[in-house]
Amino acid sequence: MANHETGGLAPNQDLPLLRIRGLGVRFGTFNAINPLDLDVRDGEFLTILGPSGSGKTTLLRAIAGFQTPSEGGIEFDGRDIAEMPINRRPFNTVFQDYALFPHMTVRENVSFGLRVRGTGRKRLNDRVDSALGIVGLEELGARYPSQLSGGQQQRTALARAMICEPRMILLDEPLAALDAALRRQMQNFLKSVQRQSGITFLFVTHDQSEATTMSDRICVMRSGSIEQIGTPRDLYYRPKSKFVASFFGASNIIEPCEIIDVRNDVTSVRTPVGTFAVAGPAPEGGSGLALAVRPEAFGIGNGKPANQIELTVVSVSFIGSETITELKHRNTSLEFKMKARSDPAAIPPAPGSVLTVGFDPAECALVSGDTG
Amino acid sequence: MRAEDCVLWGFAALFILIPLASFLVYGFFFVVDNSVVYRPTLANFAEILSNDSYRTTFFKTLRMALEVSAINLVLGYATAYFIWLRPPAWRNFLVIALAVPLLMSYIIKIYAMRGVLGTNGLLNSVLLALGIVDEPVSALLFNLTAVRITLSVVLLPFMVLPIYISLERIPNSVLNAAADLGAGELQTFARVILPLSLPGGIVGAMFTFVLASGDFLAPELVGGIEGFTYGRLIFSQFGLAFNWPLGAALSILLMIVALAVIYMARRLGNPRWQR
Ligand SMILES: Nc1ncnc2c1ncn2[C@@H]1O[C@H](COP(=O)(O)OP(=O)(O)O)[C@@H](O)[C@H]1O
Ligand SMILES: [Mg+2]
Repeated sequence: MANHETGGLAPNQDLPLLRIRGLGVRFGTFNAINPLDLDVRDGEFLTILGPSGSGKTTLLRAIAGFQTPSEGGIEFDGRDIAEMPINRRPFNTVFQDYALFPHMTVRENVSFGLRVRGTGRKRLNDRVDSALGIVGLEELGARYPSQLSGGQQQRTALARAMICEPRMILLDEPLAALDAALRRQMQNFLKSVQRQSGITFLFVTHDQSEATTMSDRICVMRSGSIEQIGTPRDLYYRPKSKFVASFFGASNIIEPCEIIDVRNDVTSVRTPVGTFAVAGPAPEGGSGLALAVRPEAFGIGNGKPANQIELTVVSVSFIGSETITELKHRNTSLEFKMKARSDPAAIPPAPGSVLTVGFDPAECALVSGDTG
Repeated sequence: MRAEDCVLWGFAALFILIPLASFLVYGFFFVVDNSVVYRPTLANFAEILSNDSYRTTFFKTLRMALEVSAINLVLGYATAYFIWLRPPAWRNFLVIALAVPLLMSYIIKIYAMRGVLGTNGLLNSVLLALGIVDEPVSALLFNLTAVRITLSVVLLPFMVLPIYISLERIPNSVLNAAADLGAGELQTFARVILPLSLPGGIVGAMFTFVLASGDFLAPELVGGIEGFTYGRLIFSQFGLAFNWPLGAALSILLMIVALAVIYMARRLGNPRWQR
């Protein structure tokens, strides 16, 4: 976890392993990737996170060489690789559908990268044994892909990508096809392989919680552009836009906001539902500001929170460990959601009753509204 | 057995197995004075196996069919591979263009080939125009080579289509994976594309062999005396010689070969990794 706080900084922080400058991909007149910059540091687990259609796969394909960029440069370890043929690029890919060779056994699949390089038999066998050991498939070397479960195919694909000891591995939604339980198991597994091997992982997912638990840094994409890059904590607590805030679960958006005062690192904003204090300085270029509050930041009662709103209860749903209360502001009909730990002793408020809901200045964020 | 299965098997029995069996059973009868004697005997088979000219024709035909399959495997693979490399819109057009001749009358196609191979035919015109020959070659028609060429051309779609289908089934990501792992184009072809599409080639070779070995129209129309094949031998028993039992017995032998080839192709064309 310490990893997350420091952003998992690798020793050679000033020299990124992968350096993308002004990389853009157009399909006809459609900009799948708007020219963007991205640095991937040596040894980090960087996740590209974004909804379906935001250009994650296209970006990864451009890096791997399967997609010719319309413009821009890609440097790997200081070398320009934009024109380099796929088979010469010094990193490997784990495909979403695994793309295992169906006519080869697990062993033959894993050894493929070595065989095309003409690696000697002894060295090849040692390397394959060790790769199969890492992914826990020692026993299944003689099986064909059609005889493997999804998780086993996934491990085979990982071992195959690791066999040539690349410094970076690209993974496009490798867990999307797995069921929830296996997915969590594979998340931990991938993360531990990454940590132990020290290989840089450039990982793609549309699942916010997956990105949060696995990554050193997350790059949020939206409509072919990078919306924000940062550690999971940054994005969770300091989203810069409404989009990132909602993606990371801060679903209560109060807008428009107007800054009325900034003092001692506390910003005061006026909103249609009241005036609130927000920890931290005001964002720059703040046009069309909004205040994002997490559902779990809300608390009932008149305790310490500096920020308070009076809201009407719409409905209360008990979902086990947590209780979700839907609320509405009387005058503006803005809707709110509050999530709290379920309290066995509490009597749920009746719909229509009015509650005073509070939240801490540190648990909300001023974000930019929609830009496009 | 489920009801649908019963119906299916019922249809198969009614329209395929029973007519076939009622014909093949003649192979175990014999002829006296131009009329069939319905008494079981193996005499037809004994005669076929002991008769030199039947045996020679049999093996000559199998060899010719094997040659046609081999030529078509190479031609068909190249054609299928070429089509597969075209952009998607082109591909569909080419596949349809290739399949259209299958809908045409067989006899017309063979007459067309006769036109191509004749002294005034297309092939001769091309050879003349290219200066490869000085005067029209008559050796292109009415021999076994003419049969080989004709069958190769006419049966080519049966080779191309299964190969093309197996190429089509290779996911793009699998090819990307090969390149990603360092394979150049030649290695990707040799290690991935070829092994994955070979089952299609085996199926195509099976089709070609079975159809070529049993064909009688092409040898009849372009084969001349040299091109007397097993199919023509069978045909002559029903037509000229009017010896149905011998014809049926000859057919049974050919059918055994065909079934053996189909069985082998099923084993080879369905490798372990596919099951
Ligand atoms: N080959 C292509 N031709 C045209 N449009 C494409 C192509 N590939 C992707 N796109 C478009 O580019 C956008 C981004 O796609 P993609 O990178 O696959 O998104 P993601 O992986 O984030 O779901 C989508 O709108 C998609 O329709
Ligand atoms: Mg994608």
